Amino acid sequence: MKKFIHGILAALLWMGAAVSSTAQSVYDLRINEVMLFNTENYIDSYGQRSSWIEIMNLGYNTVNIGGCYLTDDPTQPKKYLIPKGDPVTRIPQQQFLVFFANGKSHHGVLHLNFTLDSTHRFVALYSSDGRSLIDSVTVPLSLPNTSYCRIPDGTSTWQITSFTTPNATNNLFTHEETSGEKFVQFDPFGIMMTCIAMLVVFTALFILYRIFRFLGMMMQKPLRVGKRESRDVGKTQEVQVAELSGEILAAVSAALYLYETEQHDQESEIITIQRVSRHYSPWSSKLYSLTQQPNRVVTHRVHNKQ
Amino acid sequence: MEQSGGFFSFLVENLNQFLSFTGFANFTIGHGVMILVGLFFIYLAISKEFEPMLLVPIGFGIIVGNIPFSPGYQIGVYESGSVLNYLYFGVLNGIYPPLIFLGIGAMTDFSALISNPKLMLIGAAAQLGIFGAYILALVLGFSPQEAGAIGIIGGADGPTAIFLSSKLAPELLGAIAISAYSYMALVPVIQPPIMRLLTTRKERVIRMKPPRQVTKLEKILFPIVGILLTAFIVPSGLPLLGMLFFGNLLKESTVTKRLAETARGPLIDIVTILIGLTVGASTQATTFLTAKSLEIFIIGAISFIVATFGGVMFVKIINLFLKEGQKINPLIGNAGVSAVPDSARVSQVIGLEYDKTNHLLMHAMGPNVAGVIGSAVAAGILLSFLA
Repeated sequence: MKKFIHGILAALLWMGAAVSSTAQSVYDLRINEVMLFNTENYIDSYGQRSSWIEIMNLGYNTVNIGGCYLTDDPTQPKKYLIPKGDPVTRIPQQQFLVFFANGKSHHGVLHLNFTLDSTHRFVALYSSDGRSLIDSVTVPLSLPNTSYCRIPDGTSTWQITSFTTPNATNNLFTHEETSGEKFVQFDPFGIMMTCIAMLVVFTALFILYRIFRFLGMMMQKPLRVGKRESRDVGKTQEVQVAELSGEILAAVSAALYLYETEQHDQESEIITIQRVSRHYSPWSSKLYSLTQQPNRVVTHRVHNKQ
Repeated sequence: MEQSGGFFSFLVENLNQFLSFTGFANFTIGHGVMILVGLFFIYLAISKEFEPMLLVPIGFGIIVGNIPFSPGYQIGVYESGSVLNYLYFGVLNGIYPPLIFLGIGAMTDFSALISNPKLMLIGAAAQLGIFGAYILALVLGFSPQEAGAIGIIGGADGPTAIFLSSKLAPELLGAIAISAYSYMALVPVIQPPIMRLLTTRKERVIRMKPPRQVTKLEKILFPIVGILLTAFIVPSGLPLLGMLFFGNLLKESTVTKRLAETARGPLIDIVTILIGLTVGASTQATTFLTAKSLEIFIIGAISFIVATFGGVMFVKIINLFLKEGQKINPLIGNAGVSAVPDSARVSQVIGLEYDKTNHLLMHAMGPNVAGVIGSAVAAGILLSFLA
């Protein structure tokens, strides 16, 4: 049984680790904008123009693209290994990184060992295993200095634009209304919002109320049974109670009165004469948590004098 | 002679520079007004004992934030790199409010609510104040995000107000936080007239059945069921709700006493000091004394009135459907706002005025803690709709 529980726990841990490792990871990366023919557009740090590929991190966590592969050939997924260990490959949340497809990988991490042109228009990004495809796109032929990009960022809608935005959002020319602005168009005085929100708050607390009402009834059942049993016992012992002394009856009455009038919660601690066994753990060890220094005798003397 | 003249002019120049750096040289009427507000808060806290744990740090923070200074020396709360700016980071990024909720969870006993769960609905009804304020703010021309942030003042929950305004309208955070905490402190002044106005003498003396005994299992199940249910419905309230219920589980499980004691003791004390001081310091006259701040204060007052109205009227309505002997005293309706335990204490005091033996405190604690959950859920809804 223990082994079975350990097995389940291990499986859950493994699943948790697997989910967390992919939830905010290289799978949040997208090819966001590509330019095939660059004659008057973005220049690299060498002052040269070439085709470029913009990668976006859609996630809300910094993602390191180092170790992944970029390629222009689906049969060679491992064509360009993006070097690991360079801080430039860390893409912050919702940010961008531009690679230059100029065939000059000796120029630096961001320079690819292949070029894009009218015959090489396919771009793909593979994960570090060289097999799992993260994203790919085939760029349609277009005029020089125009790019093929997702608008809005990261979505599946691609279009050719002359307003290229390397290393920046593609949403610059589209005013995206906030959900608040959209909401207020339909609900200028907030009446709908009030109704919906109050309904949600009521629903949440109503469900909680029903659950705990049910739970309360379930919990009270054993108490009722207990009370009924004690009532039966009371009947059989009625004669004996009548023979009790006045002092005892007064004490019982006082106890009953206190029980009826005062409200008690069930206490978490119990008083017992049994030996209390404690399982040792360094987390709860008094020895480990003992930080208080013993008082010096001199201090005591001074206090005593006072 | 020439040398001594040069030294003299050097001295005068430096003295002038020193004088230009002093608070007196940079003083404006606005600074004076805000310092007086800070002193008034401290007076209310010490003399009247209105929420002293909050008003003393906030009041002193207002004084700290309104000492005039020459900008550019990393002194003020809004200057990057200053110590106050680092401390204010926890407010701006909504870090402190969930930590306070952790402490609240670890010190709150939900027994009153569990023993009579229908009182939860009062906590929901009192959230009407939030949305009354939201509507009013929209009508006054605030943007939807600003209106949402202002509306949460009606929840009477300082940490929730700070959390939501840091997400929706950070530029109004100071005014919203000060407004929320001020009215929370003034709950004993604002609520009683409304409660008297809405109830009859007969209703005020309704006696409620004593709460039943709550088992340990119920107490443990409450935070677990609570988080699963509320966070699944409103995931955007997770930072607040998660911490609240986690803190409560630490308390009720009884096996993590040290953690619970830290959460409800040193941790909440440290965070309260930091949040109070920095929120107070964020009310620099130059950014705080605006017409918008005044409007926020007016809306805040109205939201408290609407919240009290919502809670009391809801009890009166459900009493129409309850049998004699099962009825709820409407004086506990005001406790649906989450000013714990002040609003519950108001119910008790007003109840005793009309019947010296009718103690409503335990009954009022139910809707009071339900109000904490309700306002966190409401904040989550506003965040998901407006962010």
